[in-house]
This record gives sequence, structure tokens and C-alpha cells, in this order.
Amino acid sequence: MQELNLKVLNKPGLHARPAKELVKFNKGIESDVVIKFNGKSANIKSMMAVMGLGAKQDAEVTVTIEGPDEADVAKAVTEMFANGFGFPDEL
Amino acid sequence: MSEKIQGNIAIPGIAVGKIMKVGQSLDGYMAAYTPGSAEEELSKLEEAIDTISAAIDESVEAMREAGQDEQAEIMEAHSFLLMDPMLTDGMNDKTREMAHAPKGVLEAAQECAEMLAGMDDEYMRERSADVKDIGRRIARYLLGVKEPEIGEEPVVLCGFEVEPSAIANIPDDKIAGVIMGQGSTTCHAVIIAKSRAITTVVGLENRVEDIPEGAKVLLDGNEGIVLVNPSEEELASYDKKIKAQQEEQKRLEALRDLPAETTDGVRVQLAANIGLPEDAEAAAKYGNKGVGLFRSEFLFMGRENIPDEDLQFEAYKRAIVACHGETCVIRTMDIGGDKPLAYLEIPHEDNPFLGYRAIRISLERPDLFMPQLKGILRAGVYGKAAIMAPMVISVDEVKGIRAAMEKAMAELEAEGKEFSRDVELGIMVETPAAAVMTPVLAKYVDFFSIGTNDLVQYTLAVDRVNPQISKLYDHFNPAVLQLIYRTIKSGVENGKWVGMCGEMASDPYAAVILMAMGITELSMSAPSIPRVKEKIRSISMDEAKAHLEKVMAMETGAEIREYLHSKI
Repeated sequence: MQELNLKVLNKPGLHARPAKELVKFNKGIESDVVIKFNGKSANIKSMMAVMGLGAKQDAEVTVTIEGPDEADVAKAVTEMFANGFGFPDEL
Repeated sequence: MSEKIQGNIAIPGIAVGKIMKVGQSLDGYMAAYTPGSAEEELSKLEEAIDTISAAIDESVEAMREAGQDEQAEIMEAHSFLLMDPMLTDGMNDKTREMAHAPKGVLEAAQECAEMLAGMDDEYMRERSADVKDIGRRIARYLLGVKEPEIGEEPVVLCGFEVEPSAIANIPDDKIAGVIMGQGSTTCHAVIIAKSRAITTVVGLENRVEDIPEGAKVLLDGNEGIVLVNPSEEELASYDKKIKAQQEEQKRLEALRDLPAETTDGVRVQLAANIGLPEDAEAAAKYGNKGVGLFRSEFLFMGRENIPDEDLQFEAYKRAIVACHGETCVIRTMDIGGDKPLAYLEIPHEDNPFLGYRAIRISLERPDLFMPQLKGILRAGVYGKAAIMAPMVISVDEVKGIRAAMEKAMAELEAEGKEFSRDVELGIMVETPAAAVMTPVLAKYVDFFSIGTNDLVQYTLAVDRVNPQISKLYDHFNPAVLQLIYRTIKSGVENGKWVGMCGEMASDPYAAVILMAMGITELSMSAPSIPRVKEKIRSISMDEAKAHLEKVMAMETGAEIREYLHSKI
């Protein structure tokens, strides 16, 4: 299992667009990816659960990744958080 | 005998079709449903989700191909939600628990919708209605409710609420209109209908229940009237109206890309009044040049808390982008005791139109005003934005607004956010006090926009919604014209532009006189633009000025109106 501490950089927080990107990303991987924030946790396969975390900009979240491809997934997830999930206008 | 039901105008037009009821109660079907074992219910559920999901994907694709992007986007969100484990797991759990698939589905959708409705995110709150829509669609499938069949004749959808998916699923040539019991004109169903220009009447309340399935109806969206079982004569008379409407539309459409200029080449900017950012996009088909009044209060209504800076920024940005480089004038919140909002905490007032409202609230409530100003200043980066303050009566207020703008800019700078320093500040001239003081106010503002609806009401002391005195309400009243002329002259003399954003701007006869006075912008509901343009293009500035001179010497509004209608 991998555990990452990441920061939400997108100005609107982990809202609909990043959550959608995570759902799409989840379809191409084997690991289970769970984001924990503020006592709540959300599997990234659920857009509603991810948004339900209410993680705003600068929120520090914990991401756990478990599965055969966890090393690659950890790298990719770190990258997604860092580049604003592909929405540079939100950084 | 036909029956006439009066509703409210949502989307104008005239349509004839056969009633198709939607959104009806499922109680009867529920009572008749015999559930199997939990396992059987679960497998029925799985099959239902797969079927509906495939149907949604198919319709999204068809919509994309037909270029109906707005509609496709809403239905795509349905598809996304239906794939979300939070919703589907919930449906499975409830179905197993209750051993009743339709009940489980509805209950899970309801729970999910409630959770979404409580979220601190506008997008997700809007999805709440979508989740309920999906739940009902799956439940209908499970209960064997026949999806209404569409025959040769176009239908008019009718229900207290009409689900967005119901409209989205019917092709253009099979849907004539929409009738709704509820009164909102900003719900998803109306947005979808508007994007396809489907005639819609809302606000019939429980009277929608009196309209029978399959009945022939005539929908007059211009007047908000529903005629059930119209007679041959009524159909024939509307037939004439429809033909005349089509012919006029063709004539006016031809004007869309032509400039609004007099025969001797003097131009005026014809802008659109909007309530929602998407209205700015829809206005384009009438040939508008920018937006002269964005009624920002729509962003404040129907919510429990103050819309935050980011939400406002996104809305303003969308409207500004749709103006394609022309000015987008955003009016700051214009709300008072007549439309109480919980978070404004306005105590009861006997006379809210003369009370604590609009800029009077904004200047005292930085928690309201700052996010709005900052949202507009940030959105200004994407085009040409202008801020317009409503209900101003004094120079002090304008100074207060300037100071607030300076503070908003300083805060944005400190926060490192991108914003525009070129956003103009103007006031709405809608109180006699402001109109009288325009020679002084002109030194402190970048523009004036004359708000005639209130200017007429306050100048003549005539409540504009009181039918007993409605004949006293007249924008051609000489007292009103004097104030308007004074305002325009004050602007021109000080090098500030002057526009108008009240109903008067959409009166083609008034437009001619206003141009002669020196007005440079007229803002109105977009569909009025072509008619005003047609009149302007038929006259020269010399003629207009001669008419103005005559009109300003007249003594009554009736005399002026009669003169203009006979001479222009």
C-alpha cells in the first residue's frame, strides 16, 4: 500500500471537473485509490463521494493506493494533483 | 368548448399539439407491483440500470450529432451519475434491504439527491434534480410504466414538474410545447426548452391536473395562455397569428447582421438585458451588441447563503465572454424587502420600494458587496465589463462605491488574483434625485444608464403594478422626458456615455426620440432588438431631431404618443 499526502491546488477545490478526471483515471488502473480528508474517505471511482469530501483549495488530503500497479498509480496521482488535474486555468 | 387557463410566460411562441402527461404519480403502479425475492429484485435492478444507461448514452450521441450541445451536456451528466457507485451501490443496498426494486431505487435516489442538495458546490446542487429524474426513470421502467409513445402529431408535455430528460428525449419535430405547474423559469427543463426554442408556459399550479391526457391544446407562449380543446375558429385565428409571426420573424431576422443606424449613418448600440449568463449566448440570434443590463440578483435568489466570489466570477465571465468584446454591464444586487432573502435579514417593511434595498444594502454589507465586486473585476479580464449601481440618489453613494472598488482591487492584488483595472463604473439613473443631480454625478461616474421602469414610477408616484392607476404610468409623460433629456445632456457635456435599460428602450418610437437626445446605447430584452432596429433604420437624424423639438414642446404624454405614432 502506498500513502501520499497531497495538497489540492485548484482554486475551486476538488469540485466536479477534477472529480470527473479521477473517475476517468480510475477506469484505466487496477489499484483502489481512496482519498481521505476531514474524517471522511472517498473511493475515486465515485464522483459524488469525492465531491462530498468538501476539499477546498489548499486542503491537505491523504491518498491511499492499494493494488498491483500502485507504484505507477502513485506517481500519476501525484502528477494530477500537481497540475490541477489538467486544468491550468484553475491554478 | 375550449377552456382557457392563464399561466406565466416562459418561452414565447405559438404552438398546437396533443397533451402528453409526464411526471405523474407512481403510487398506483407501486400498489400493483408484486416484488419477488431480494435476489430477483436485484437482478431486475441490474437489468434496468443497464437498459436506461444504454438509452441515455444513445440519446447523448444523437444530440451531439444534431449539434444540441447544451442538452447533450445535461444528459451526459445523467449518464455519469448513473455510473457512480455511490448512487448504484445505494440502489442495490436499498433494494436488498426492502426486497422491492422500485422502492429501493426511489429511496436511494432521494437520499443521494438530499446529500447533493446540501453540498457547498453549485454544480452538485444542480445535479440533485438530475438524480431524482434518474431514479424516477429507472422506477418507471421497473414498474412497467409505458414510456409515452410519440405518434405523428407533435406533443405538448404537461406536468407539475417536467423532467429535463422527458424534453431531451423527444426530437424537434415531435415536440410542440411544454406546460408546467411550477413557476420557475430557470429550472433545467426550461433551460433545455429555451435552448431549442420550444414554446413553454409555466406557473399553472394544480390546474395542470385538469388538462386531460391526449387533449388538443393551443399554447400561446406570448401571453402565457393554454387553450384546451380549442375551437376551429380559435385555431384559425391563431393560424393567422402564426403565419404573421413567421413572416415578421423572417423580415426581422434579415436585420440581424445589419447595423442599428439612421439613414444618414448615426449609430446606436442595441444591447440585451439578461438575467442569467446563458441569456447572453441566446441573445446572439437577435443581433445584440453586448449586454446593457445583467440583473445579477438572479445569482442571489433561490439560495440559502451569499453566492461566493468564485461562483459569481464564473457567471460574470460566461456573460462577458458571450459579449465578444462589446461591453457587458453588470448591475450590482438589486434586492429589497419585496423579495426577501433569508441571508439578507431585512425586517418587514411597509414600503420596500422606498426602503432598505439595492445599493443601500450593498454599501452597508461588505460581506455581500466585496465578493460581487471582486467577482466582476476578475471576470473583467475576459472582455469589457462595467459595474452599474442601482437606486443611487447621491454623490456620497458613488464615492462609497468607488472606495469599495478600490478596496476590492487591493484585496485581489494582495491575493495575487488576476483582475482588470479597466472596469467602468456607472449608475442606474432611476430616481428623480439622481436624474436632477446628473450634472454633478457625471464627474464621478463613467456612464449613466437610465432605468425607466423605476424612474417613471418614482417621478410620477405611480405604483407600476397597481392596475387601477396603470393608465397614469407613461414613459412619454413630459416630466419623465425632461428628466431623461437632462440626464443625457449631462452625460454628453461631460464626455460620459449614456444608455437606457428600462422598458422604454424597447419602444421603437421612443428609441428615435432618445437617439435625437444623444443616447448611444439602448438595452432591452433581446427579442425586442430587431423591431427597434427596423425603426431606427427607417429615419434620418435630421428628421428625428425635428420630431424631438416638437415633442419637447408638447404638454401631455398622450399628445406625444399620438404624434409619434402618426408621424414616424
